[in-house]
Amino acid sequence: MIVREFSQITSNWRSSESAQLYLNRHKIPVIWDIDTRALVRHIRNVGALRGIVATDGTPAEQLVFEAKQLPKMAGLELASRVTCAKPYGWEKGSVEVAVSPWAEQMGESDAKGESYKHRVLAFDYGIKQNILRLLVDHNCDVWVVPAQTSAEDALGVKPDGIFLSNGPGDPEPIGYAIETIRKLIGQVPVFGICLGHQLCGLALGGKTFKLKFGHHGSNHPVKNLLTEQVEITAQNHGFAVDPDSLPSRDVEITHVNLNDHTNEGMRHKKAPLFSVQYHPEASPGPHDSHYLFTEFTDMMKEWRQPGSSRR
Amino acid sequence: MPKRKDIKKILIIGSGPIIIGQACEFDYSGAQACKALRAEGYEVVLVNSNPATIMTDPELARRTYIEPLTREYLEEIIAKEKPQALLPTVGGQTALNLAVELSESGILEKYKVEMIGASLRAIKVAEDRLWFKDACRKIGLEVPASALVNNAKDAMRLCDQLGFPLVIRPSFTLGGTGGSIAYNKEEFAESISTALDLSPVHEALVEESVLGWKEYELEVMRDFRDNFVVICSIENFDPMGVHTGDSITVAPAQTLTDKEYQRMRDAAAAIIREVGVETGGSNVQFAINPENGRMVIIEMNPRVSRSSALASKATGFPIAKIAARLAVGMSLDEIPNDITEKTPACFEPTIDYVVVKIPKWQFEKFPGADSTLGTQMKSVGEVMAIGRTFKEALQKGIRSLEPSTPWRAPAETPDSLLREKLATPRPDRIYWLLTAMERGLHGEEICELTKIDPWFIHQIEELTAMNRRAASVTVETASKDLLREVKRHGASDEQLAQIWRTTPASVRLQRARYGVSPVFKRVDTCAAEFESFTPYLYSSYEDEDESDAQQRPKIMILGSGPNRIGQGIEFDYCCCHASYALREDGFETIMVNCNPETVSTDYDTSDRLYFEPLTLEDVLAIVEREKPQGVIVQFGGQTPLNLALELKRNGVPIIGTAPESIDLAEDRRRFGRLLEELKIPQPRNATALIPEEAARVAAEIGLPVLVRPSYVLGGRAMVIAYDVNTVQDYVAQAALMGPARPVLIDQFLEEATEVDVDALADGAEVVIGGIMEHIEEAGVHSGDSSCVLPPVSLTPAVLDTIREYTRRLALALKVVGLMNVQYAIQRDTVYVLEVNPRASRTVPYVSKATGVPLAKVAARLMAGKKLASMHLPIVKNNGVAEIAVREFYSVKSPVFPFNKFRGVDTILGPEMRSTGEVMGISTSYGQAFAKAQLAAGQRLPRKGTVFLSVNDRDKKHLAALGNELSTLGFHLLATRGTAAALEAAGIQAEAVFKVNEGRPNIVDLVKTGKIDLIINTPLGRESFYDEKSIRRAAIRYNIPCITTLAAANAAARGIHALHEQGIEVAALQDLHKSQAAASGAPASGD
Repeated sequence: MIVREFSQITSNWRSSESAQLYLNRHKIPVIWDIDTRALVRHIRNVGALRGIVATDGTPAEQLVFEAKQLPKMAGLELASRVTCAKPYGWEKGSVEVAVSPWAEQMGESDAKGESYKHRVLAFDYGIKQNILRLLVDHNCDVWVVPAQTSAEDALGVKPDGIFLSNGPGDPEPIGYAIETIRKLIGQVPVFGICLGHQLCGLALGGKTFKLKFGHHGSNHPVKNLLTEQVEITAQNHGFAVDPDSLPSRDVEITHVNLNDHTNEGMRHKKAPLFSVQYHPEASPGPHDSHYLFTEFTDMMKEWRQPGSSRR
Repeated sequence: MPKRKDIKKILIIGSGPIIIGQACEFDYSGAQACKALRAEGYEVVLVNSNPATIMTDPELARRTYIEPLTREYLEEIIAKEKPQALLPTVGGQTALNLAVELSESGILEKYKVEMIGASLRAIKVAEDRLWFKDACRKIGLEVPASALVNNAKDAMRLCDQLGFPLVIRPSFTLGGTGGSIAYNKEEFAESISTALDLSPVHEALVEESVLGWKEYELEVMRDFRDNFVVICSIENFDPMGVHTGDSITVAPAQTLTDKEYQRMRDAAAAIIREVGVETGGSNVQFAINPENGRMVIIEMNPRVSRSSALASKATGFPIAKIAARLAVGMSLDEIPNDITEKTPACFEPTIDYVVVKIPKWQFEKFPGADSTLGTQMKSVGEVMAIGRTFKEALQKGIRSLEPSTPWRAPAETPDSLLREKLATPRPDRIYWLLTAMERGLHGEEICELTKIDPWFIHQIEELTAMNRRAASVTVETASKDLLREVKRHGASDEQLAQIWRTTPASVRLQRARYGVSPVFKRVDTCAAEFESFTPYLYSSYEDEDESDAQQRPKIMILGSGPNRIGQGIEFDYCCCHASYALREDGFETIMVNCNPETVSTDYDTSDRLYFEPLTLEDVLAIVEREKPQGVIVQFGGQTPLNLALELKRNGVPIIGTAPESIDLAEDRRRFGRLLEELKIPQPRNATALIPEEAARVAAEIGLPVLVRPSYVLGGRAMVIAYDVNTVQDYVAQAALMGPARPVLIDQFLEEATEVDVDALADGAEVVIGGIMEHIEEAGVHSGDSSCVLPPVSLTPAVLDTIREYTRRLALALKVVGLMNVQYAIQRDTVYVLEVNPRASRTVPYVSKATGVPLAKVAARLMAGKKLASMHLPIVKNNGVAEIAVREFYSVKSPVFPFNKFRGVDTILGPEMRSTGEVMGISTSYGQAFAKAQLAAGQRLPRKGTVFLSVNDRDKKHLAALGNELSTLGFHLLATRGTAAALEAAGIQAEAVFKVNEGRPNIVDLVKTGKIDLIINTPLGRESFYDEKSIRRAAIRYNIPCITTLAAANAAARGIHALHEQGIEVAALQDLHKSQAAASGAPASGD
């Protein structure tokens, strides 16, 4: 973590420990009191860089040399390193920050008056827990499975839907996942986020490419081309799907980033599949895109209907 | 959605005069809206009564009306201009209320004018506290428990239910006027009666107290497509209980986690949708219980506001400009972000710095006013500071306030007093916080006493710890690292000089030796994610400099800092004009200022904007980076002038009148000698240090005398003494206040007429810009006096003398640029009272009245142009060039904040107390005066009852007034003495009781609505309290109250004109055109 100033104290009714203790516990180094804006401008100008942190007095030239030995992000397959070892169920819903009557009334979840729970298999390429929480909020029975789970095994448990998670690294080398997704398309409703979106793009025959310095932060405007509305979204990705590489016969572009016009979402014209590049679960970040979780459950509902296009 | 094609002409209503709670932020937003709509191809019709605004510049709108902001005048303008739409959301509460009135009275419907930007329903829901609460509850949001009352009995019943403390808020008032907090039944009874009186609908909200809770604001925008963005989050350093306009505020919010922030964001989106604000900017205020996170909604404004101006400056996102575009049907994603150019306005700015806003108060102007901060706003201005950390921004903010002397706690403060100072919010609380830390009071106790969030308290603890470390070394022994670290905490050279008992210059020298100097960072809306094309800069002690200074010919303009009484929007207007003119002439212009409310701190105004404190240190740092050809100090009022000599000594190229001349004009002795040389009379004067000496010189000069301290801004602490005792007391008091500074004693010219002159000079030629005759006689501060241009009662000989003296003075002082002279004319003798070789408060007014933009011309003179080359519409009088006098009268009238300061006397004197001004224009003097009075909130009656009570000096001159009022059909009431004087002159008047003479007395009559106009000139000490209660009642019941005979005579002429003329309106563009035609020269100096 690199910050301009690091708070030495905590001041919040929900606080249980200081940031310093928390980061220590997770062995995350913190660099502070540097000109972070200068660093951002540098990265903006030269693009994302490999870096190295040292405290032992190693000369800078040596560190630069070592950093250059680090593998480049392009071509790096990281999902298999961060995925879970075996499947597990997830039951926790969203965190309530304070008792307030309005969360219920706003009807954030579709749970009301419904007993049927959508069985969702979530492929873990490095999944964010808030995605799981929101799936639970949206009345899903959530099972997280390792990245390498095969399509046959996945379909074998008769899920109502498949979720493809976010995750680190370059999507291209994750051939096994692309292969699996290709087999799942059309067999079951699929919803992908971030890396999951890129993998869908590749599975549909498209290409991905590396962005100069990626999209990071919680203020990216994304236009939903179906509704013409703009969502403020949380993003964290270094690769993007090239929309021109997608077969226009099968795929419809649904979302576009207004800052640089890169692709932010798509859906299959026939099969029950849609995916977004950004993070609708946004934690941290704005809640504008929570509706996608409802669209996912709606898609599963429709797929279950007799007479749907289900094969 | 593309912009609407069915609308061509749009009416924008401005916010009127500067008052507490509604300042120049609305000139900023209105001017932005004007520019945006014009750029989109719409014709803008603009109405505002305030001539000191940029928005009323004739170039800005197609049609500009400086007229009273009342329904009648608006109807007249609408009938004449036939706009298709009205944008009511950029002129503050004034515009919003007026739009509601126009809509509800059927005028908008009659002329088929559509309200854009906010619907009537949305305004009503947001403004009506009960409707608003219902709307919040409907969407499941919490609001403080409350009820509306319209009588005292129901209110008392309610307080038993809700328990104390209770918040009382009158409905439909500005800046929380009349709001208060009651801790017991007695206080509650008084508060509720005040609140009901002040509410135009006689209604108030009584509410559960959320005192001490955390307070937040979100500035949000929405468009027709339902796109919603948060522009900025603002956290109040001072917790709930202090009006947000009186709170130190911080952007972005510092003590929320993302989860809590997003909950607030969701709530804001839900509210703006429920209230029905379809397009534009709104702000929503929240309170959060620090114990458990319970969030309640406090209020929302369905318009741009003071906070949205702050948010615009804090983020670089121009809310008003975008709001105007949204109002005509554009969507956020169609509008580009000016700063990045390549990305759209549909995003949420990210901030990689901390912004701190600190209010500026002036309680010293209002003796007797309660300085406790509460739910009613009392500050007159604010500063904003940008730093990379809260600590840095806070310290920059504190020095931006320009305290005349650094604040120091009295050495012997008992801890109990210290605790009281912390617990009760007053303007100086921030200093007491620092004092408490230095004394070693525990942070937890400070949090407990102040309810300020522990994070902020910890930040201040870190500041004091840093200062303590600095104090352990000296300026010579301080290491480079320590020096850099303490500068990174935001400390000024001056602060360090105090710590190290040395001079700021030696601190600066040490910094130069070590190479510890600030770099400049950009405000770019996106935390450097994209390239920025707008150089909007702030300083910080960091590694990388982004200023990218250019090599073009450039001129730097120093602004005027926070608004205060005597130094406000007029000076900002001049700074903006200087920038506009020099930009047109091909210079790169650089603006330096720290006031977020202004047009000068709009990144559009100048080529480059430095949002920095106006101190020697900060200005020098910018000069070093930019190396401008010239620096202009004469447009920003006293603030930059105070720096002029020091800047020059440091090699800064000051252009225009030399700082030495400015200094000479302020040095009484040297200036007196100059006047003697020039053979120009001035009132006899002397200085005194001790009471005895004062008594002697006062007697020599001859009573009455004007007594004042030797340093003056806006006439601080001046008195007129009619006897020697008052003089002695004053000097004795002044000696108690501080180190021996001489007191100035001037002959006071009784019954003299005061005249203001603004003139232009290029070192060789002089052009008179305007001669203004004051309506109140000498003795009332020029800023508090109404005045008229052209003069109405001066003889040609006197005018010629004034012209000649002005020319002599300008040449003797080698003025290049503007000069203002104040004269007093007593029995045809012209005396010089004061000369200021700089822009004055009256420059915008004169410019609007004559059509010649004086500040622009002056800026060009400073940059080297000559008057002869400017083609000004000049006539020669007595051999002196003067801007052609026009065929209409322009009256300027002041506006006072007395309704904000309960218990303060409203009598006018040498101490300036007005916060703003208005202008009335008409072909007759009387009508112009009546319009100005109306615009200032004094509605002169056409008929009814007038109450007169005048002092003995005035009794001699009462006959004319009495006759005029009788002829106009008024019934006259008077105190015994005044009635006798009237009867002696053969005028019938009914005698009434004074307050101490029996019942019903005059105050009873005022309260029961029997009086339509009060004319009350002060009698002196003996009946002081009696008069004070009359004037207070007048304010409370909103009855026009005139306190000088001269103004009463003008009012009579005004009423006469109302009878004769009816309502007339005229656009500036037409007035200036007719004038230019008459003088045969172009209307503008451009």
